[in-house]
Amino acid sequence: MMRRTAPVITALSAVALTLAACSSGSGSGGAEPDDGGPITLDYWAWGTAQQPMVDAWNAAHPDIQVKRTDAGGGTDSSAKLVTATRAENAPDVALVEYNTLPAMIVAGVAQDITEYSNGLESEFAPGVWSQATFDDATYGVPQDAGPQALTYNKARFDELGIDVPKTWDEFAEAAEKVHEADPDTYLTTFPPDGFGGVAAFAQQAGGQWWSVDGDAWTVDFDDDASVAVADYWQDLVDRDLVSAEPLLTPEWNAKVNDGEILSWPAGLWAAGVLYGVAEQSAGDWAMAPLPQWEEGDSAVAFEGGSALVVTTSAEHPEAAAEFARWMGTAEEAHAIQIEQGQYPASLAGQELTLESEPPLLMPKQKDYWETAAEIARTTIPEISWGPNVNVASSAYQDAMSKAVADGTPLRDALTAVEAEVVDDMKTTGFEVTQK
Amino acid sequence: MSAATDAPSLAHRRVRRRWGAPLLFLLPAGLLFVAFLAIPIGYALYLSFRGMRVSGGGPFGLRQETWVGLDNYVAAFTDPELVAGLGRLAIYGIIAVPLTLGFALTFALLLDLPRLRGARFSRTAIFIPYAVPGVVATLLWGFLYLPSTSPGNWILERVGLGGVDVLHGGMLFGSVANIAIWGGVGFNMIILFTSLRGIPTELYEAARLDGASEWDIAYRIKIPLVGPALVLTGLFALIGTLQVYGEPATLRPMTSAISQTWVPLMTIYRDAFTRDNLSLAAASSVALALGTLVVSIILLRVTQKRTFGGS
Repeated sequence: MMRRTAPVITALSAVALTLAACSSGSGSGGAEPDDGGPITLDYWAWGTAQQPMVDAWNAAHPDIQVKRTDAGGGTDSSAKLVTATRAENAPDVALVEYNTLPAMIVAGVAQDITEYSNGLESEFAPGVWSQATFDDATYGVPQDAGPQALTYNKARFDELGIDVPKTWDEFAEAAEKVHEADPDTYLTTFPPDGFGGVAAFAQQAGGQWWSVDGDAWTVDFDDDASVAVADYWQDLVDRDLVSAEPLLTPEWNAKVNDGEILSWPAGLWAAGVLYGVAEQSAGDWAMAPLPQWEEGDSAVAFEGGSALVVTTSAEHPEAAAEFARWMGTAEEAHAIQIEQGQYPASLAGQELTLESEPPLLMPKQKDYWETAAEIARTTIPEISWGPNVNVASSAYQDAMSKAVADGTPLRDALTAVEAEVVDDMKTTGFEVTQK
Repeated sequence: MSAATDAPSLAHRRVRRRWGAPLLFLLPAGLLFVAFLAIPIGYALYLSFRGMRVSGGGPFGLRQETWVGLDNYVAAFTDPELVAGLGRLAIYGIIAVPLTLGFALTFALLLDLPRLRGARFSRTAIFIPYAVPGVVATLLWGFLYLPSTSPGNWILERVGLGGVDVLHGGMLFGSVANIAIWGGVGFNMIILFTSLRGIPTELYEAARLDGASEWDIAYRIKIPLVGPALVLTGLFALIGTLQVYGEPATLRPMTSAISQTWVPLMTIYRDAFTRDNLSLAAASSVALALGTLVVSIILLRVTQKRTFGGS
């Protein structure tokens, strides 16, 4: 035995020596010299609007140069941010979706930038501002907002004699009428994996999936409002009045292009997404406010939208915060944003849209931006997202897909998601009350 | 090691001479093994006992890595979805493994028949799907499966029959397995064919003289003699089954019937990257790796005596 272990130890110590040599060699490239030269900031962001905005910033700010990297969409990018933060090499600034911002705070990615945020609050509507502020601390500068609206195929609506529904009851009637007139056609889709959409419908109805009460979280996915939303869609799915399938598949895109799926209740960004997948049908479309639960109401929730955060890895937090503020509030930035189809989060940016042309999907709808501004004014303030939206969204996708496939109640899927979310939060060590 | 640096006695010198050269030759492989296999495995084991826990309290307390003992293993083994994923994997394996090996063996035997025409072309044609990357193959088949793009459904609808949705219900297992079979037959066929070519042809001549038909030769001589190659391909197929990820993950956007936890590796990926729970993913990985090892050993034990005549 001894004879065998000795060579192993020899080999291992040789390896250890070599590895030590390797690691000491690679450490020499670190620390930037602070010689007063321009600061370089790394910025992670997705989407077509970012690079032109960064270019505009760089042209105007020779002292603070920004290098942008596309680290994937919201979900991918935030997963990478968490890993990069643990390895202490996260970018200085990053774009984060509102609903993942709490997760970024508890993972230690986003830095408290309250001290650099003087006067920032007045730039935004309260509903938008609350998405980036937690416990009175500011963690991000909102950039774009996605209040929900109804993007619909106006040409087909006119052809089938459908009026734009103002309430969800009218929406259900329209779904019936559309399907009767043309059995191949559906008014809309109920995507079984559409976490963000149903979360926003539930918020519109008054649901509050996560809330903070002192030091504890309250989790309630199956409150009366959310169950009512689930039951509403259950009825439409059961009667085969909506198409229950995932969005943005080749299958779905083809149906949208062929005028077999006539509307998409989603964030204002829907116009850009639809234009990307169904360009041939551009010109047929229009946008209207989202249907309401009660006639005369105007409440609407956000679906999507994002903010710039300064990370805990940032070496120059002040410069990083300055860049974030510019990206979220500068007129130059807004002009590029709007041109690229984003709806700005700031009040000034939203004002600026009124002078712009309607999106490419609905060039004929001259009042597009007026309608958008009206919708943005009526968003629900104080919606809070939990620290594990990633868990909720992945649990929702599987539970809801299974419920739709097996024909089990959708409301039970919400209860199952809640159980998984609470379980995860308890394991992580949060104080949680389950309702 | 310290003993060797002391005033070397004769015995020590002999030991050094005996071990010095082999160790030197082992060093490059040893280094690579330790750096790229032993250390990552050790780190995965270490991670599987760690976990992110909130410290400091409050609704926005920071999550930090701490020691959590066996929590991750308990979570992995009590996760009904991971177990259900193994069940789905079993169904998939029962379809994919026998069919892949069956087709591979059939093709290999057919190609090994004497006086065969177009052998080279057939061999290449059967092998080519293996050269198509898995993701590309899955996309290709996915479009053939999707009701609106499927030519099969187009024909069915033209002749007045309803389309078939092969991406939902029980058909799904067959559809996913089919992709693996399509890609895997060629590779296994080549291994079996090579092994068949290694059999001395005198055996066949002797059998023919005794009046054996080609069928008899295949059944009584060729198949028993390629036994070791069959075990090898069977083992590869089994390990391949336990590692299924690419096909279902690529098909997932096309059907809601494939959940994020459809097979164990998808669950591991979800935990690690969607849910930021690397430790749970590490624990599940360790469990899956050990399971694979156990199943492989059992398979080898069971088949060893029969195919290698005991050892």
